[in-house]
Amino acid sequence: MDKKKLGIMEIEPLVHDRYCQDEFSLIGKRGVSRMCGKEKAGGRAEYTRDVQLPGMLYCRILPSPYAHARIKSMSTEKAEALPGVRAVLRYDDPELADKPLFGLETKFNAGHLPSDGQAFYHGKEELAVTLEQWKQGAGRVLDGVAWWEGHPVGAAVAADTPELAEEALSLIDIEWEELPMILNPLDALKPGAPLVAAEINSKNNIIRKLKIEHGDVEKGFKEADKVIKFEGRRRPYTVADAEPMSDVVLWRGDNVEIWAHQQQAYDGKIIFGMKMGIPLNRIKLHVPYQGSQFGGGGNPMMHHTHGVHIISGLLSKRTNRPVKTFYNRRDNFYNLSQDADCHTTFKVGFKNDGTITAVKIDNICGKMGQYGIDHLEENTRIPNLLLNYLETNINVAPAYWFRCEQNHNALCLSMVFDHVAVELGMDPTLVALKNDGVEGHDMEYLSKFKRQHGFPDRDSLGEAIELGRKAIDWDKKWHEPGTKVLPNGKLHGMGFTWTHEWDDTRGTACAGVIMHCDGTVDILSQKSDDGLNAMTTHCQIVAEEMGLKLEDVNFRFFEEVGFQMMTPDGSCNLAVDAYCTRNAAREAKQKLLEYATTPIKLIDITYPPAFPDNYPDDLDVNDSVVYLKADPSINVPVAEVVKRATLNQGGTRAPLFAWNWHRQGRYGTEKGRHRLTRQAYFCEVEVDPGTGGVEVKKIVNINDVGKAISPETCEGQQYGGDYMGAGRALGEEMIYDPKTGVKLNANLIDYKVFTMRDVDTTVNLLLETGMGYGPYGLNGIGECIATVVPGVIGAAIYNAIGEWVDDHPMTPDKVLKAISKAKAKRGGLK
Amino acid sequence: MMQKQDDGGDKKITMKINNQEYNMVIKPHWTLREVIHDKLGLTGTKEMCDKGACGSCTVIADGRPILSCMKLAIECEGQEIETVENLEVTGNPLVEAYANNHAMQCGYCTPGFVMTAKALLDRNSNPNVENIKDALEGNICRCGTYPAHIGAVLEAAKKLEGGKK
Ligand code: FES
Ligand code: FES
Repeated sequence: MDKKKLGIMEIEPLVHDRYCQDEFSLIGKRGVSRMCGKEKAGGRAEYTRDVQLPGMLYCRILPSPYAHARIKSMSTEKAEALPGVRAVLRYDDPELADKPLFGLETKFNAGHLPSDGQAFYHGKEELAVTLEQWKQGAGRVLDGVAWWEGHPVGAAVAADTPELAEEALSLIDIEWEELPMILNPLDALKPGAPLVAAEINSKNNIIRKLKIEHGDVEKGFKEADKVIKFEGRRRPYTVADAEPMSDVVLWRGDNVEIWAHQQQAYDGKIIFGMKMGIPLNRIKLHVPYQGSQFGGGGNPMMHHTHGVHIISGLLSKRTNRPVKTFYNRRDNFYNLSQDADCHTTFKVGFKNDGTITAVKIDNICGKMGQYGIDHLEENTRIPNLLLNYLETNINVAPAYWFRCEQNHNALCLSMVFDHVAVELGMDPTLVALKNDGVEGHDMEYLSKFKRQHGFPDRDSLGEAIELGRKAIDWDKKWHEPGTKVLPNGKLHGMGFTWTHEWDDTRGTACAGVIMHCDGTVDILSQKSDDGLNAMTTHCQIVAEEMGLKLEDVNFRFFEEVGFQMMTPDGSCNLAVDAYCTRNAAREAKQKLLEYATTPIKLIDITYPPAFPDNYPDDLDVNDSVVYLKADPSINVPVAEVVKRATLNQGGTRAPLFAWNWHRQGRYGTEKGRHRLTRQAYFCEVEVDPGTGGVEVKKIVNINDVGKAISPETCEGQQYGGDYMGAGRALGEEMIYDPKTGVKLNANLIDYKVFTMRDVDTTVNLLLETGMGYGPYGLNGIGECIATVVPGVIGAAIYNAIGEWVDDHPMTPDKVLKAISKAKAKRGGLK
Repeated sequence: MMQKQDDGGDKKITMKINNQEYNMVIKPHWTLREVIHDKLGLTGTKEMCDKGACGSCTVIADGRPILSCMKLAIECEGQEIETVENLEVTGNPLVEAYANNHAMQCGYCTPGFVMTAKALLDRNSNPNVENIKDALEGNICRCGTYPAHIGAVLEAAKKLEGGKK
């Protein structure tokens, strides 16, 4: 081949989807029943936890009883001798020698590596430990050193029943060497602090340092009319996901089957294949329904995502039996996604008209925290920004964020804006509008960008605020802080905040569409359903594009079929993935119309098509019927068209199949790809001055989703985020015993997940400006709400009591203290 | 009914589950949830918390909603148990109403909510919003589907009422 012709594969990640269709029959329509709904409500949906195979063994992994400890010696004899125990895998077994937990280095997980991933857009990062050390820091699949209480280490046992596996764990004798431990990021930085993981960093407890700088903050502070400083804290909280982790692996000769409870199950298959030295075409992956995970499935450092497959796999290989490794509720609390402890100080300069001139954020986090400045960078015209970020190692499991990694960024934006509004006594919605922009540029710049790239030019924030003000009756209800006592004696507060949607439309996906000889269609791609209703929405899109009835389209999600979607049923669901199902559907429809019009010539016979004297362009499809555009009364059902082509004579044509691949941008944050849509949040609370208890009376969200494919699904994400966000604001916190590092509330009684009674009313409105980067101008919604609601509740509490509670969660004790402080300031406290 | 005990401490009991007789030999420490889910393969009865906190393991025993993770199976000798799988069999409108109202996301907690709702409708076929909240407030949904349940239960109640006429 002529080498000169091999150019660079171009992508254009910035252009609006110019698919301008005004009328849809299925897309955006309400009242489409959820396709997985009856299976789920009727209890027939199968989750990994439910999988049982003939001869299946149950595997439990030993959780470390210490926050930092090394195994000095271990005896597994008694466990092995227990009748019903079929295998014990030890950390020092030779099969594990070459099995670091960390994934397959940059090739497959570049986006998640500390030095190679998220920081590239932000520029300078200074790693305190080398990448090599960090990888080692993830330990091995089964290690002899524990870095947190509950860390799966030492041994894994496979037995006939779950109880026997549990009992066998208790029979393992271990001599531990207890090592010093630290839980608080600030303690980890104190001079002379003990080393929390000397195995990877023998100098200090710092994982990484990062500095992000735009403009000149000192100059910005000088230009300001006023400069304020304040502190914030976001304490660690955890996913508390619905289905406790489990997987099943069955090794049969040269082939392996995996049932994965994992959002990025295909990554797990790749890592399994590479580490176990087995070709990928020998691994069959099953991806059953997934109990809520909210994104934390992909981190190669997290044991549950990839480590368990290897443990189950090794045990299955040894025993020739299927092995299910399962976590209990407490294990889930130990090892699944959580958010890091963050200590943040702010310095903000602004003018009297609300224009913010400079923001400086110093943020110290526990391991794998969040920067805190991203939304101010991407979402505003503030010209001078500075972030100093310091990440420490501590003896808790590494954070892997859930719903979503922008939590601290969203909270920091809310805190900056709401503090400025309060200092100026200004309506916070006006302060937001005053500073709305993108990467230091104003709205005019943004408008130009939208026009140049084919997007509609609408004022997303302005429209969202207008809708929200009306919905919550803002003009009537918003008041001076600490001034409104209700007849029931409670303090009334109103809050507002905003952000952009976290636009996750970058990435690569592929999907196929195949029509059976009865005219029904399967969408083929990897799909792990964890609740976003991807099944219905992809079917809506394919049915819409092909002119089929919705019931004639199905998403074959259970088995992995070789096509991979970008985080199936996660952040990228429709925003990336729907491009390929849509494009494949269009191609399949074109083929269908060709089948309808092309005669099939065999040697001695010619089969006429359904529309013998027409061209494909003369036809269209509606309601699973092909019709002549010029005279719709001439029509043939799709089933009949394909039956002629594919069933007669055992199939006279190739299967009606089309596939598509789509790539948009690279994964991660991308320079120059501006945030275009905005989200506005309002909230009303009542605070009990006697107890400090906060009642959330109303949350109003207005989310610009660009285009809603399924409005009910978007609303589900909205109110789902409301409840989780309110929980994060007011109750959710992982509490550790400071002396031992043992988690004290690793169960669903003591860890406060919000229930039906914890928010009075939610009003969730969809704004559809068409300014998303996804197909039909859509963008994602799931990431946003639960990240922003804590900030708006914080603002409402301030408005109620006249004092900030910037330490989240804002539990009654902290609120009471703030009330006392407010009273003392006013001189009213006796 | 007296429970027979065999030599190993295992007990022989009889239960009627979804209108079918089951004669089982069970261990005294097995919970009802374990028996239903793990032994009988009625996997709609989910385990989320295993501590009586979440309601996802709810079944109806002798007409009352109970947390099957907090109930020993041996206590259920002679009882009539209904699990979520029975609702489609008996044509209960809740299942379809839940699908129509999108009253689920991941769906893991959903069978527990549905069974709690079924028990509510069994004793009050015309509930108002407050009644529904009272009934379902003990169920945890991590996806936060709470508001959608109200529409689903109201829709099912309407269909049940309609059926009575
Ligand atoms: S599993 Fe029974 S109440 Fe949670
Ligand atoms: S729908 Fe996911 S936990 Fe309720």
